[in-house]
This record gives sequence, structure tokens and C-alpha cells, in this order.
Amino acid sequence: MHLPSGPLTSLRNRRVRRARVVIEDALRHLHAAEERGRQATVESLAGALGVSTRQATELARSLHERGLATSEEGLRLTPAGERWARSVVRAHRLWERYLADEVRKPAADLHRLADREEHRLRPDEVERIAARLGYPERDPHGDPIPTTAGELRVLAAVPLTMLPEGSWGEIVHLEDEPEVVYARLAELGLEPGQAVILRESSGKRFAFEADGLPCELPAVDAANVFVAPALGPPPPARPTLADLEVGETASIRALRVTGLGRRRLLDLGFTPGAVVACELASPFGEPNAYRIRGTLIALRPEEARRIEIERAGEEHP
Amino acid sequence: MSTQLPARLPASCTACRAHLEQLGIDLATADYVVALAGNPNTGKSTVFNALTGLKQHVGNWPGKTVARAEGGFELEGTRYKLVDLPGTYSLLSASTDEEIARNFVLFGRPDCVVVVVDATAVERNLNLILQILQVTDRVVVCLNLMDEAARKGIAVDHRRLARELGVPVVPTAARTGEGLAALAQAVAGVARGETRTRPRRLPASPPVDRALDALVPLLERAAPGLPSVRWVATRLLDGDARVEEALEGGELSGEGAMRPSPEVVEDLLAEADSQRRALGGRFRDEIVEALYAEAGGIASRTVRREGEVGRRDLDALVDRVVTSRVLGLAIMLLGLAAVFWITIVGANYPSQAIATALFWIEDAAASAFEAIGFPDWLTGFLWHGVWRGLAWVVSVMLPPMAIFFPLFTLLENLGYLPRVAFNMDWLFRRVGAHGKQALTMSMGFGCNAAGVVACRVIDSPRERLIAILTNNFVPCNGRFPTLIMLATVFVAAEFSAGYASLAAATAVMGAVLLGILVTVLVSWALSRTVLAGEASSFTLELPPYRRPNVRQILYMSLIDRTLFVLRRAMIMAAPAGGLIWILNNVEVGGQSLAQQIASALEPLGAALGMDGVILLAYIVAIPANEIVVPTMLMTYTGAGMLVEIDSLDQLHDLLVVDNGWTLLTGICVMVFCVLHNPCSTTIWTMWRETLSRKWTAVGALMPLAIGIAATFAIAQIARLAGA
Repeated sequence: MHLPSGPLTSLRNRRVRRARVVIEDALRHLHAAEERGRQATVESLAGALGVSTRQATELARSLHERGLATSEEGLRLTPAGERWARSVVRAHRLWERYLADEVRKPAADLHRLADREEHRLRPDEVERIAARLGYPERDPHGDPIPTTAGELRVLAAVPLTMLPEGSWGEIVHLEDEPEVVYARLAELGLEPGQAVILRESSGKRFAFEADGLPCELPAVDAANVFVAPALGPPPPARPTLADLEVGETASIRALRVTGLGRRRLLDLGFTPGAVVACELASPFGEPNAYRIRGTLIALRPEEARRIEIERAGEEHP
Repeated sequence: MSTQLPARLPASCTACRAHLEQLGIDLATADYVVALAGNPNTGKSTVFNALTGLKQHVGNWPGKTVARAEGGFELEGTRYKLVDLPGTYSLLSASTDEEIARNFVLFGRPDCVVVVVDATAVERNLNLILQILQVTDRVVVCLNLMDEAARKGIAVDHRRLARELGVPVVPTAARTGEGLAALAQAVAGVARGETRTRPRRLPASPPVDRALDALVPLLERAAPGLPSVRWVATRLLDGDARVEEALEGGELSGEGAMRPSPEVVEDLLAEADSQRRALGGRFRDEIVEALYAEAGGIASRTVRREGEVGRRDLDALVDRVVTSRVLGLAIMLLGLAAVFWITIVGANYPSQAIATALFWIEDAAASAFEAIGFPDWLTGFLWHGVWRGLAWVVSVMLPPMAIFFPLFTLLENLGYLPRVAFNMDWLFRRVGAHGKQALTMSMGFGCNAAGVVACRVIDSPRERLIAILTNNFVPCNGRFPTLIMLATVFVAAEFSAGYASLAAATAVMGAVLLGILVTVLVSWALSRTVLAGEASSFTLELPPYRRPNVRQILYMSLIDRTLFVLRRAMIMAAPAGGLIWILNNVEVGGQSLAQQIASALEPLGAALGMDGVILLAYIVAIPANEIVVPTMLMTYTGAGMLVEIDSLDQLHDLLVVDNGWTLLTGICVMVFCVLHNPCSTTIWTMWRETLSRKWTAVGALMPLAIGIAATFAIAQIARLAGA
């Protein structure tokens, strides 16, 4: 077999890249633990990276030698380690935002794709993406995106399972790992920004409403939904275009969509304040056709659900 | 602004001409270049056709003109080249169409941009006009569909509108030709620089204004002579990748200007980035909202509704009926069946007449060749091979297409087809595809190659690819004759005379439904595996019903679709005819090549419930599916040339008695007819549309694999059950 020229060089390069990936993954694990207020250990590191405890110990030592982490009372990031970790987190979350908004990848694939890309993006590329997206503050799962300087806002959030029955909060984060659980959350249509009212919790199953849509989740899944608890009576569900029956008219209040999808809706005339009427339903009940600025436009329900409306006579603060 | 632009850039401006040539516009024959822009469904293509005389295809559904069409007109000795841009709602580049239109207006710097506007929906259309006015001064607004507006009781004060916009506004009714002479005059005035325009500029909010003020001097340094500095600055502020690229590549620089130095561009982009950060995320929305607010204001001053007249109520009533649960679906299915029925019945007689005429020519020419003394093989190859193959394809294909395509175009022009997409979207959404796939699929019944081209109306790449790859599962006009013949010989024969034709029709319909079922299943499988992805945002405009122009429909569907497809098929069929003749007339070891290949294929054919001759026919018929049956018959009879059998009884005897066909053979051949590789024209078209060898290969081989699997399964199950 004929090897390409310089096989050793390319092998060495690959090893350097591999090493970088491992270190960055370790840093992200430590960062994630600190973000959630947990303590990272050699064991948790081994679990997160899928390596043996011995390898993880080796890795922890290597992080320590590089001045990226200290290992007194569990593993902790040093300031240098935190800077590096946040640059990786920034790349990861921005890339997820980009994939969701511009490439319209399915929500369940975002994390996996970004896991690969976070190690490849150069800092200037990360900055271009941020600029292109208009400096988003959160990733599609609701996590804050660190700034270039490495500043990160802390989320005041509790798992849905900790919310008292009958109280409400806003979804601020959907845990994207493990993927199967996240896929189930995405399937229900849960998204950051939705108002959640916990109706019933039996300890095993949690029944709640997300923006007026009744949902039910087992405790394992519900623990991956993080909400910022709110005081006072729960807000009335904000109606969307999907709630508009044939023959009804309303005005658009806000668009709950970002990126390409938002630009397209705006271009079609779905702007806040515009009057919209639901004129037709297809034989199978969806999509519906809406009269907007003199033209009849059909939208699928998942699109219509992202357009908040205000029926005539209703007043919202 | 520091630099005042010249009143008009001369058309000879070398830089602009270079841009235009880059954009694929041939300038050799024109003095001025005029672009035609507008929202979808404003009658833009009708205006184009009326001005140029060239009949370009018009469909009453959004996003028809994906590629650019060109034409020209002459006025007072000056030649104008007219470029039809894709219909877009905006220039903010949300889709490929918008990007094509935007790039042409911005980088091509045409001498005049005609914005075609639907007079019945001025407010919506103003959004695009206002955007174009920010890019170029040289604009003429064509206020089209005035006749329709009058019927709907909508009066537009076009003089007032012209004052508000600062550019000429010409009311027209392109369908009847009204106002087009005035439009041409207005275009000439603007293109030649005789009409001075003062396009309305948009006020920006103070923060955006300040950001733009910071960018403009840098931009003028990077691209001196740029006509629409503020607009380009807005795009940079928005982080528009294409505009950044154009800036770096020097496409935006004016005449004689050098490509800007990288440092200058870098400074500019860095400034844009920091300004954008300072503005925060809301400013994009504010720009669009400001556009609509402005549009709303202008519309309220220029448009008067004289009460709703009955017309829209009628539209609404028709819409409720054709999209209702029971009646709507029934109308759709009956409509499809009616189109088939008219096509099949109507094509019968002309097909025979054409065949008779063409075969008569063959006989006459062959005798003439013999009389002159040409060798037998030459006469045979040319006339009994190449010519006969051509004659067959023309006579089988032309009449059904000449009926099917006008009917399809009629439904398209009426505006019914978007309603079909609306009705079917639920199903296609379930399988991860786009509702418009219902339309490209229907188009495939006419010709799969045309169906593949039609997939352009689906603007999201993933769904479009699914539609392209699955188009071949619906049988085209070239395959219907085979289906009908087999249904008649095998299925109808099982029933008494009274029910025979009904049974045959049911069998053909069954084959069609099988094709649709497989389309849906394969779309589902593709979107779960290799083409996984979220359904892209689905928006479908349901245009108002329009009275179709019958003459134009006939002209368009015959020239645009029928002759186009026929020409391609003939190019493919002629060599196939020659090949068939060679296979059947070259003998090696006392057997013709065809028979030898057929016996080699026999075991495979048997496993699939067919035989070697049938497979050979399908291989030879890759260029044109029409010749499957004649090739089969030729090999069975050993006739040495394509054979037509006059009576069904004779055919029945040949297949069943002489060659051992059973009901299973008949069914397997019918299934294989629906599920097998596309013809070479369709394969070539797939490549043209995807520009990907990989996806073309998938599109060609996947249906074949499915066909083999299906017939194999049917044959094995039937034999097990029978044994």
C-alpha cells in the first residue's frame, strides 16, 4: 500500500487535534458542572467523556500541569481554564443557534453537530458567526452564550420538578443531554420563553401547560426542563395564530421565531400590528390559509404557533 | 453625502457591462438592459410576454420563474433587453429567488427596473417597491391588473402614487395589452436618462441613522461610485454575507475602480460589526416594520375601496368548496381522473393517424432506397431502425402530451393547483416533504422530466430533492400505453364484457395509486434517513382565481412543454431505434443478439415474475419508455423491427399462448412499469437540476432497486401461494 507523503506529520497533527478535543471536552464538563452548581470529580469526568477512571485521572493531572484546573476538593477551573472553557462554550452555543436559525436543522441534532464543530472553529470565525446572527444572547436551548470577553450570565432556574404545584414560571433552559430525552421535549414543542404552569405533580408524572398547551412528562424528563419561577397569578395563555378559527380576525402581537424563519414571515407581511384573518382550513385540518395584507397565505400549524395574536377587544399589558 | 452621483451611469459603463456579462446577460444585441421585478402573481410574466412577444411560461402560482428569462423589444430604433427576475416579496434575501433578484438589481445595475405591482394589493407590493427604490433611482412602476382592481371596486390614484414614490407609475392590464405602449415609453425615458426620478427614500430611526452615518464614509472609500451607498450600508449592518462578499470581490466598485484593499474592507466590516452590536437585535425588525408603516401610509393616500364587490365573495365560496373535506378531495380525485380520461381517449385517434402517416413514409422511403440500390442493412438500419423508433415515440407521445399539458396548464393558470398543494400538504408534511410536491407529482404524470424541472417551485433544498428523487414513481404518458395494454389484455380479460373496460380502468388507476403510495413511502423514508431535517418553513400563497387566456395556454403548453419534451425524447429515441434494429438483425451463432441477451437475462427475469425478453425491452427502452412494448413484441416474434399488433386477441395469443405469460407476468410487468429506473431524459434532467452525480445516481438506481424488490416479492409470494 502506498502511503501519502508525510504520513508521520499528518499522524502527529491528528494526535495534536485529538489531544485538543479531549482537553476542551474536559474543560466543558468542568464548566458545565460549575454552571449548574455541582462539583466535578475525576469520576464525573470519566463518565462525561466515556473514558476509564485511570485515563480521567491522567487527564486531570494534565489539566493541572497546564494551569487550567486545580484538583483540591474536586476539580475546579482556574481563571485561565475558565477563559478557555467559555470560548469553547461560546463556539458551541453560537453554532447551535446558527444551525437552528439559518440551516434549520432539527432540534435534536443540534447538540451533536455543535459538539464536533466547537473544536474546529477559529476565534475569528466564531466572531463572524456571532455578528451574522446579530449577537444572540441565548442558544436554542435557552442557555446564555458567553461574550467574547468570557462573561456569562447566571441562570436563576430550577428544574420543573421543583416548581410548587399551581405556580408558574418561564422556561429558560432545556437540557440537551441525553439526546433521547431532549428529543422528547422537542417533540412536545417545548421551547425557552414559554410560560409553564404546573398543574399536577405526582412525584412520577408531571402535568403542566406550556403556553396553554397541556403536556405531561415523567419525572426523568421533567427534571431536564429548567424554569425561572415567577410570582403572582399565572398569566393568561398568549393566543397564537394557530388558535384563530376560520372566520376570525386578529392583529399580530409578536413573532416568536428567529433567523431565516422570522425574515420570511416579515417579508410576507406578518409584522406586529398587521391584521390577519383565518379564511380557510385544508380538508385535513391543516395547514390553514390566512389573509394578510390582501393576500391569502397558507401556514402550517408549527409556523402559526409562533405568531402571537391579539383578538379585537382584548388588551394585553 | 459627499459624493454626488452622476445623473445616470451610461449604459456603456464598462464595469456594469462586465457585471452584466458575468450574470450571463448577452449585451451584444441591446442598447439598454431592463429588469422586470415584482411580487409573485402580479402578472409579471404576462407583462414580459406582452412586451417581448416571446412567450414565456406563466403559472398562476408563486415562484414560477426560477431561472431568469430574457427577451427584447425595440422602440424608436433603440433596442432594450428585458430580463425577467424571479418573483419576490422582498430583497432582504430570505430565499434563493430573492437573492437572484437582489443581486441582479444591485450588481447588474440595469438601466431601468420595472416593478410590476398588483393593483389589487398595492400595500403589500409597496414593500418591494420601497426596497428597490433604496437600491436604484431608475425605476418604473407598472401598476398591473387594473382591470381586476376595477372589478373588485378598488381605485388606485396612480398620479398620486407616482408623486409619492418619485418615479413614473404606469397603469396597465397586461392580459388585454392595455397601457403597455405607455409602459414601454416610460421605460425608454428612464433608461435613456430623459426622465429624472426622485425616488422616495426611507427615513430610518435615529440610532440606525447614526450607525449608517458612521458606515457611509468607510463604504465610499471601499467602493467609490456606488449608487446606493445607504442601502448597501444597511445590508452590511444587517450582516448580509453576499453583500460583504461582493464588497471584498470588488463587485460593488464603480467604473474603473480597483478592487478595494483588504484593510479598507476589514475596517468597514469591523465598524459594521460594532455598530450592529450597539444597535442590538431589534433593529432588523424595525427596518421591516418601517417599510410596512411607510407602505401603509402611501396606500391609505392612494388606494380607495369602493365597497367590496361580489367577486371576492365568489372566490371565497369557490375556495371553501375546493378545500372542503369531502367535496374538495372528491373534486381533486375526479379532476385527476378526468384529466387522464380526456388524455387517453382524446389521444387515441390522433396517435393512430400519426402512426399511419409516419409508417407510410417509412415504407415509401424504404422502397425508394431499395430502388436506388442502397444495401439492405443501410435501409434497414435507417428506416426500420432509427426512423421507426422515432415514429413510434412521436405517435405514442405527442398526442397525449398535447392534450395533457394544456389541461395541466389550464388548471395552473386558473389558480387551482396551489389549492391542490394546500389540500395535500397535510399528507406531505407527515412524510417530511412539501405540499407543492403534490403538484410536481401531478406534472410527472405528463412527463417525469418535466416533473423534475417543476420541482424548482419548492424553494427549500431538502424538500426539493425529495420531490426530484421521487418524481419517477408516478407513471408518465410514455408508460400509460403499456399499463393500459396490459390492463386490457390481462385484467379486463378476467371479467365479462360489460365490466371489462371498468376493470381495466380500475387496474390502471391501481397502478397510479401504487405510484403515489410509493412516492409517499419513499419520501417518508428519505426524510427519516439520508435527507433528515426539519420541514423548512412552509408558506404557500393561494393567489386569486384568474380567468385563463386560452390562446396563451395553448401556445405556452405546446411550445414550452410538449415540444420541449418531445424534442428531447426524439433525440434519445432515434439511437435507441437503431440499436434495437442492430440487436435483432445481427446474428451470432444462428441467434440474434437480442435473443442471446434475452436468454442470458432469463433467470433474473423469472425470479422477478417476468422473463428475459421483458427485461431486455426495459434495458433497451431506457432512452424512451414508449418502446418497451414494441421491443418486446419484436423480440418475441423475431420480426427484426419494431412491431405493432393490430388486435388485442392477437396480442393475447402472442403473449399467453406463444410465450407463456400468466396473470402473474402481467401484474409484475405492470408493477415494474411503475417502479423502475427513470428514462435517460429524466436522469439527465435530474443531473441538470441537482448538479450532483450522487443524487442523480440515487434517483436513477433507487426506483430500480425498489422495482426489483417489489416484483421479486410478488413473484415469490404468488409462487408459494400457488404451489
